[in-house]
Amino acid sequence: MLLTLFLVMSLSFWIIRLMPKSIFENPEVSPEIQRLLEAEMHLDKPMVVQYYYFLKGIVLHGDFGTSVKVRPGMDVFRIISTRIPPTVMLNVLALLVSMPLGFILGTIAALRRNKPTDVVMSFLIVLFISIPSFVFASALQYFLTFKIPIFPTLYDSTALTLGAKLNSLVLPITALALGPIATIARYLRGELIETLSSEYLLLARTKGLTRAQATVRHALRNSLVPIANTIIPMITGIIGGSLVVERMYSIPGMGGQLVDSILAGDHFLTVALLIFYSAISLITILIVDVSYGIIDPRIRIGGRQ
Amino acid sequence: MPTDSNDTILKVTDLTISFKAYGGMVQAVRGVSFDLKRGETVAIVGESGSGKSVTIKAIMGILPGNAVIEGGAIDYHGTDLTKLNEEGFHEIRGKRIGLIFQDPLSALNPIMKIGKQITEVLHLTKKLSTADAKTQAIELMRSVGIPEPERRFNQYPFQFSGGMRQRIVIAIALAGDPEILICDEPTTALDVTVQAKILDLINQIKKERNLSVIFIMHDLGVVANMAQRVNVMYAGKILESGTAEDVFFRPAHPYTWALLSSIPDMQTKEKLLAIPGTPPNMIHPPKGDAFAVRNKYALKLDFEREPPPIRISDTHWAATWLLHPKAPKVDMPEILRHRINRMTGGVV
Ligand SMILES: Nc1ncnc2c1ncn2[C@@H]1O[C@H](COP(=O)(O)OP(=O)(O)OP(=O)(O)O)[C@@H](O)[C@H]1O
Ligand SMILES: [Mg+2]
Repeated sequence: MLLTLFLVMSLSFWIIRLMPKSIFENPEVSPEIQRLLEAEMHLDKPMVVQYYYFLKGIVLHGDFGTSVKVRPGMDVFRIISTRIPPTVMLNVLALLVSMPLGFILGTIAALRRNKPTDVVMSFLIVLFISIPSFVFASALQYFLTFKIPIFPTLYDSTALTLGAKLNSLVLPITALALGPIATIARYLRGELIETLSSEYLLLARTKGLTRAQATVRHALRNSLVPIANTIIPMITGIIGGSLVVERMYSIPGMGGQLVDSILAGDHFLTVALLIFYSAISLITILIVDVSYGIIDPRIRIGGRQ
Repeated sequence: MPTDSNDTILKVTDLTISFKAYGGMVQAVRGVSFDLKRGETVAIVGESGSGKSVTIKAIMGILPGNAVIEGGAIDYHGTDLTKLNEEGFHEIRGKRIGLIFQDPLSALNPIMKIGKQITEVLHLTKKLSTADAKTQAIELMRSVGIPEPERRFNQYPFQFSGGMRQRIVIAIALAGDPEILICDEPTTALDVTVQAKILDLINQIKKERNLSVIFIMHDLGVVANMAQRVNVMYAGKILESGTAEDVFFRPAHPYTWALLSSIPDMQTKEKLLAIPGTPPNMIHPPKGDAFAVRNKYALKLDFEREPPPIRISDTHWAATWLLHPKAPKVDMPEILRHRINRMTGGVV
């Protein structure tokens, strides 16, 4: 876990910093001051030494450097800290919405296997999996705010009540969740169909359990085990999608900031944002791994022995 | 209800089952009939794919969706199980007829505690309270030979060996207190050393609980110590039926001869004779005797007309033209004759 984070830090440092844009490329600042600033930020030293200062700053002081372009002179960490909550809220809500809906739809499709409900759903599922979230985002924006104004077009960060805030988040969350809902539904359908034809489900029925009892007690939870694997790439998918979707709904999160900082060449800010994004993914993946163990005793107990 | 040993509690008559498949209908079971008498063990023996499991799935009402019961009846206390609906089977499965599976490794739910998989039955069929169900489940586990049942109660299937899992499957089958126990190749997936113990256990619980048993096996050798009656099945049909003595000491069908010759002989260590060829394609089963193509004793008639069951004695019949009065006299293979003579001391 920490090793992964370290690798992410190093990789983003080297990749971003080796991009051919000078950190200070501002004609309004005189060369002397530029040199002074560069000296202060160790930019006059070789890259390896800069890398050393970069790691030391983060590990010892939680210091990610100073923004130079987007909001010059401001501590990068301070910029980001205000940006984290909207992003986390958006991503976590999208995830929380998509999991139960995906489970329910997948179960219905599996139980109605090869009937019209299943056929229609399978078609929609393939459609939703293959369309990227920003397409949904603009489609939803067009239809539900412009054509039929039900929801606000943009995120309302000044909203006072949580309800109003959430109301302005409905569309971006929907845009982000549609793909994952379809993904979960598709995998759960497949898993459940397989579990439903397993020997132990047959045994459950020869015990005298009804079909419904056997499904609820023996099939659903068992099908969740392999699903946990698909949730991890799904999370990274949601986070990737949120970069763009945040922009489209002007949500003041990390996504918009990342796009700005890359375009402006604000390298310290870019690197720090990448690190925070990875940290968020890593934490969610950790949560998934832990719940994996809760669902499947073979992992929990097997790991202990 | 009369309890003399002759009364029949399950009667399968002319059962015919096919599966819808891409190439056409797979005729898995083609007119199977046999009786199960109270307190008796009936064996059905045959090679893989002969339709044994399909037959018992029909009895339990758990045929897959593409199966069609095309004819016949399964009479159980006056109810025809081939016509019973799903609700009706809830009263039968587990409570009246218990099933032990071929593969205990995949028959248990891998992520549910062993104890719960047993108590579940007690909750649902006998409406026992949690505490009572637990006591009774532990008692069941002890009676099928699980050491330290209290500790094992809270473990998961992957913490059990294959033999122990089969004992759990047996405990589950007994939990609903059935009167018929069906064992579908209960030892095929187990080590040889464990096999004998499981077979002993089945015989023991059969006596203790006065069960009637349908015992499915592909290995005739194992059946000798288990069953009173033996049905030899091939390509969806029963070819020979008789008491264990009839079938082991006076086998009449060439297929039974072949099966018996393929049992390894511990005393003489002679080479065991594999049956040549493979079972037929059941989408287009052969016209005459299905075993004819693999049978070196086959007559011309065997390829053309199907032999009817021909009576040998009150308890014994076989479906082969060799028994027809006009058929040429053909004797069973020498090896087999020697073996039988040795076992019976030549008295038969
Ligand atoms: N769901 C199914 N769809 C199509 N054909 C099937 C299906 N289930 C079984 N069959 C066919 O029915 C025939 C009999 O199968 P069955 O499982 O009864 O064999 P078995 O005698 O139990 O053999 P084994 O010793 O391997 O358990 C086989 O030819 C098999 O291919
Ligand atoms: Mg079978």
